[in-house]
Amino acid sequence: MTVLTSASAQELGGESDLTRAVDEAAECTALQVLQSNLFEISFRTSEMARRAQPGEFAQIWVEQSHIPLLRRPFSFSRADSRSGVVSFYLGAVGPGSRRLRGFRPGDEARILGPLGRGFTLPDRPGRSALVSGGLGAAPFPLLAERLRERGEELVWINGARTREELYPEELIPVGVTEVAQFTEDGSQGQMGRITAGLLPLLRGVDRVYACGPNPMLATVFRLIADSAPDSGVAPPLEVSIEAPMGCGFGTCLGCAIPLRPPQGVLDPVIGLCCRQGPVVRGSLLHWERLLQQPAHLE
Amino acid sequence: MSGPEAPFDARLDLGRGLVLANPISVASGTFGFGFEAEALAGIGHLGAIFSKGTTALARGGNRPPRIAETAAGMLNSIGLQNPGVEVVARDYAPRWATWSVPVLVNVAGADISEYVAVVRRLDGVSGVAGVELNISCPNIAHGLDFATEPGAAARCVAAVRAATELPLVVKLSPNVTDIAEVARAVEDAGADAVSAVNTYVGMKVALLSRRPVLPGHGSGGLSGPAIKPLALAAVVKVRRAVVIPVIGIGGIASATDALEFLVAGADAVQVGTANFNNPQASREIVEGCLAYAQQHQLRRFAELRWQDLDHPGAQEPAGEND
Repeated sequence: MTVLTSASAQELGGESDLTRAVDEAAECTALQVLQSNLFEISFRTSEMARRAQPGEFAQIWVEQSHIPLLRRPFSFSRADSRSGVVSFYLGAVGPGSRRLRGFRPGDEARILGPLGRGFTLPDRPGRSALVSGGLGAAPFPLLAERLRERGEELVWINGARTREELYPEELIPVGVTEVAQFTEDGSQGQMGRITAGLLPLLRGVDRVYACGPNPMLATVFRLIADSAPDSGVAPPLEVSIEAPMGCGFGTCLGCAIPLRPPQGVLDPVIGLCCRQGPVVRGSLLHWERLLQQPAHLE
Repeated sequence: MSGPEAPFDARLDLGRGLVLANPISVASGTFGFGFEAEALAGIGHLGAIFSKGTTALARGGNRPPRIAETAAGMLNSIGLQNPGVEVVARDYAPRWATWSVPVLVNVAGADISEYVAVVRRLDGVSGVAGVELNISCPNIAHGLDFATEPGAAARCVAAVRAATELPLVVKLSPNVTDIAEVARAVEDAGADAVSAVNTYVGMKVALLSRRPVLPGHGSGGLSGPAIKPLALAAVVKVRRAVVIPVIGIGGIASATDALEFLVAGADAVQVGTANFNNPQASREIVEGCLAYAQQHQLRRFAELRWQDLDHPGAQEPAGEND
């Protein structure tokens, strides 16, 4: 395997700018319980909301008594620079998120961010597709808002296994031109996976942003790449991927991700999800290797 | 500001001209090569930085998952991912040379000749203040061999000692029958200081999949607050065995933790896993230790040492039955 140095990181699109991150003691301002174990939690920050960009994440220190030990990474769902409030959409699925589910307004957590590299916003307005699977909807409210500010037309393709796990339609920001919903069990929207109905929805789309389980992202990448011979040029795809993360800023080396090697090299180049990602151009990833590794910290 | 009559002196002399401004440093593998923290939280407060383990050639590290969380701790099996000594000496050291904080390069290898080759490349390089021999990495084949057998540890240290005049710290493994014996062996072989301890071999098992969480042989290195009591006991043993400085490591997350290691006989400490949670951890620990020294009118941190450390007599802890 090849090690990614700073020089080769630049060739792969760069790495996160750590000088933008701040570590703040932030007060919980709201916790909105949605269906099932889903919720949105908001914190008032002094500086972070101004800096957060779509696709970037924060490391939340849920519990300073060492259990759980590590901070938890969550993408910004919203960031309001006027009020200073940042929000995160999550499911109570692990020890960190379950603890956050018990937060009440007034509770404090230390939040470090913004971290990572976010989505690339277009220079000229066009039409974007946002493709989300389950909790992968998390970064898209903020992305949709920033794209709308640039005059972008948006289609949001929102999927989950069941209605209970689907990002609530009423939270999808006003201004999203078109919403298509899929559930695997047919409990809401069309029955089936989003990948089954994806290609027709991407007609006339200039770029695609996707976030969800890594296998879903791999399928989205393959579908778009394979469709290129018919439609001419495939729209560029950016994906927000998952890897078991420790520190979030590049020192623990836990969140290794496999990147496509230069021509003539077989082994993947090892990048870090927290520095080269979590948002990566689909064409840069070594997908086969990515699918062999776990997505979450155990 | 009113202080004690004799001014407090936080400095620590590690030998061969290397004097740390204070005894709080950061542990190898938890701070990269210093650049992330420099951007994120600053480094000027530190006594020293111990770099990520460096080998002769670049290493890609182990396949994920590389980390797992445990009760008040974490397991890692990174596998010495590093860009190789050439990049470290050529690209990183010139940047370190502009820092006031000394950087010691942690050196790892598969055999003695690799340790010697890496240290030779670092010898005389501006910006490299010293080396720390990682004779105890649990995540590479043979990494533990040098640490577990005192004779092998001594041969490795002696070979490196002959190759450099740089200050030489040797990092000890706790996964041994008698850490004191290894400490004495590396002191006799020419180490200027020892650091103790590296991670404990541990394992996390997933019942759902009925296998260990980490790949390969399934074990990794346990670090974090979970190992602090084990590390304190090990530091006491090492302190009794050697006269060279002892750098205590193991679950230090607060100034209180750091000061407890000084009580247990450490002359300095390394903050490790806490750096992952809290990029400000080492700064908070330095400030907390200095505040404690002022509050208690210390002149040297060494005054904190357990006075009966060398003659515990009836206070010998339970379990030490020989």
